[in-house]
Amino acid sequence: MVFALNIYRRLLGAQVRGQMQYRASFFFEFFGAILITLFEYASLALVFDRFGSLQGWSLGEVAFLYGLSEISFGVMNLLFGGFDPGTFGIEIRRGTFDQYLLRPINITLQVLSSRFVLRRIGKIGVGLGIFITALNMTSIHWNIAKIIYLPMVVLGITFFFGSLFMVGSTITFWTVESIEVINIFTYGGSFMISHPMHIYPNWLRRIFTYVIPAAFLNYYPALYFLDKPDPFNLPAAASFAAPLAGIIFIFISTAFWLFGIQHYQSTGT
Amino acid sequence: MRLFWEITKTSYQRYLSYRAATIAGLITNFFFGILRAAILIALYGTRKEVAGISLQGAITYAALTQSIIGYLSLFGWVDLMNTVYTGQIANDLLKPMSYFRFWLAQDLGRAGVNFVFRGMIVILGYSLIFDLVWPQSISQWIALTLALILSWLLSFSWRFITNLAAFWTPNAYGISRFFFIFSWFFSGFLMPLRYFPDWVVKLSYLTPFPHMLNTVVEIYLNLVQGPDLIMALLYQLIWIAVLITSGQLILRSGVRRLVILGG
Amino acid sequence: MNLIQVNKLAKHFKVFQHHRGGFGALRNLFSRKYNLVRAVDEINFNIGAGEFVGYIGPNGAGKSTTIKMLAGLLVPTSGEIIVNGFIPWKDRQNYVAEVGAVFGQRTTLWWDLPVIESLSLLKYIYRVPNNRFNENLLNFRKLLDLDSFLDTPVRSLSLGQRMRADICAALLHDPKILFLDEPTIGLDVVAKERIRKFMKLINREQGTTVILTTHDLSDVEKLCHRVLIIDHGKLLYDGNLNKLKTRFGGNRHLVVEFSEKYPNFIIDGAKIIEQSDLQTTYSFERGTITASELIGRISAKYRIRDLEVREPDIEGTIHKIYEEQLLT
Repeated sequence: MVFALNIYRRLLGAQVRGQMQYRASFFFEFFGAILITLFEYASLALVFDRFGSLQGWSLGEVAFLYGLSEISFGVMNLLFGGFDPGTFGIEIRRGTFDQYLLRPINITLQVLSSRFVLRRIGKIGVGLGIFITALNMTSIHWNIAKIIYLPMVVLGITFFFGSLFMVGSTITFWTVESIEVINIFTYGGSFMISHPMHIYPNWLRRIFTYVIPAAFLNYYPALYFLDKPDPFNLPAAASFAAPLAGIIFIFISTAFWLFGIQHYQSTGT
Repeated sequence: MRLFWEITKTSYQRYLSYRAATIAGLITNFFFGILRAAILIALYGTRKEVAGISLQGAITYAALTQSIIGYLSLFGWVDLMNTVYTGQIANDLLKPMSYFRFWLAQDLGRAGVNFVFRGMIVILGYSLIFDLVWPQSISQWIALTLALILSWLLSFSWRFITNLAAFWTPNAYGISRFFFIFSWFFSGFLMPLRYFPDWVVKLSYLTPFPHMLNTVVEIYLNLVQGPDLIMALLYQLIWIAVLITSGQLILRSGVRRLVILGG
Repeated sequence: MNLIQVNKLAKHFKVFQHHRGGFGALRNLFSRKYNLVRAVDEINFNIGAGEFVGYIGPNGAGKSTTIKMLAGLLVPTSGEIIVNGFIPWKDRQNYVAEVGAVFGQRTTLWWDLPVIESLSLLKYIYRVPNNRFNENLLNFRKLLDLDSFLDTPVRSLSLGQRMRADICAALLHDPKILFLDEPTIGLDVVAKERIRKFMKLINREQGTTVILTTHDLSDVEKLCHRVLIIDHGKLLYDGNLNKLKTRFGGNRHLVVEFSEKYPNFIIDGAKIIEQSDLQTTYSFERGTITASELIGRISAKYRIRDLEVREPDIEGTIHKIYEEQLLT
């Protein structure tokens, strides 16, 4: 365990130093990540005045969702970057994944530490900024339970999307064709949960509630934090399902991932 | 000119063969469009019209921008950059036509495939779910067609410039991505520019980006007419001239640099 | 003792038939028609500690499938492999700790980092003791001449430099076995020669067992005491390189320069294939007549100034084996 952590730290360090080799490029990527998150949020915030509300939600309340989603997805992207199906698919196609099999350390550990994209920190920073403005614009009645629950929500969302990354990567053991479609669930899912779920068409909301439990990650916890009623009258426990959803998904996806490695070893590419 | 069409044709066929990528892009575009339309519908609430755009117009805006984003390739394009890094550029520079036109021809093929197999299909798909607005008159269709062609030309001239960064640095992907981010926002891709406060609109119109997308949107939704419409097209032309000229100057010094470095 | 034991090793691949056309991708999802390809078809061999073995065969013969199975990357369909007491794919982590591998076109090194940083990362990954690491590094730096680019990022290295760095990386943890897959591909003559010399030295001095696959038969000729030839998944030959030449080598040539002109230079048991002025090239068959017998016959009749025996080159030999399927 100590050895694994030590290796993890060293491999991440290598990633960081690698990205710092080209300072100009790093600078542009880092500020680019900040700008894009900022622009996307600004495009909503700047027009909000004209409209007044997003189907009953104030800008502050939407910013709460938005900030939480950006932070969590950013953390996920940082920690699970090695499992990004786009880049992982390229490793499979080029055969560089074989290198992991040739080293005397755990394969999952190697993938987890294979891509630590520093510019995501910029994205997380903007997410934090949005979240803080949300706190200023809303008056949340904080209590101990809420304070304890907040980081668990972040963890739940992080694990949830991390597991989608893992599933996407595992699929590339079988086919790299059209793997970009998984972006609908990852990037699309994160964009989706940045806004209140009740604005989406019913069929879409139901899929992302009961098939893919995305609604429980952010929307239902936010109802709890903001003391808002649930328009769909689910049991109160729905607000507390985020960590559970994350953990269940990470277990399932890890099992699938390990099965995928086995399949890879028995068929090659 | 024959060589130009030959290259366009080859490029068209090449992009046509990336079937899986086209389908994946189509599905993703479609999905995001639905989310964006849902946000606009929720923002409108009971309002009939905001900043001169009806709810139906706003939904059409989401559908239209999702449909032509592949055609305009504003999300990023690094094809030229890649050839600098692979060394293919050496052969391309020797071709018996200007380097700009060589890439223009290739991009026309790419744009054609995206227009037909992504754009048209996506917007037809939306028209099945949503009640969309369509141009009303022949003259509006003509103006729209012109604006679409000029938008592509302008977007290409811009992408051409961003890719030239590869002549100066061994890792220009981050740089080009950085510049593309500005085109997202200021082109009116994230929200119709009319919704924004005045200062944002003014700031946008200092850049070439609104002319790449927002102009098409405004003509499609019949928000500009008469002399304003002529001016809008004229602005597109002016920016095309400016960007092509700057592109040529940057290319020239880039090639000089490449020759000196023997790259 | 055999370090590597391979028994009835087989690997079959299912190659699915792809549908083309608009709905091809969709049909591919449901249709499960396939052809069975026997990439490796029940091969047997043993390799002892310290051997230097060349593993050759035409493209698609099953070479890299075998190497991948030996390295633990692929699980066989049937048969068994025991290497260094391990079943490679079963106890992967412990097994690869004592194995080094260089897969020609891909690098084990970190693309954006200076070579030296990659090497020290590998030190931690393989848990190489400090003194052992320093000793090895010092040695390899000298032998592979790494000093000039130790601080250069891997992406900026030339192919030859990268290959040297990769070979160094594969050996830092003193592996008992080294798998080299096309290590000289794309390199110039000087770079090839340097790498060959080094590998020969490692094999001799450290006793590292080396399995080499290559397209370049001069690699095999210069390095390998033993050669395995595979084609269509079957092992065609396993043995000494010279014996292979003896068996299939075609004719040897004797080039003779005479001291003076004679009306003819005809000799029993040899064919004249080239003649110019005083120099004549004879071709003679192995098994029918030895070189010394032939020289004896010639010198009995004529006065010789100089002579040279030319062995057939291995390239031709192997080619002949593939083409005419001599071993099947």
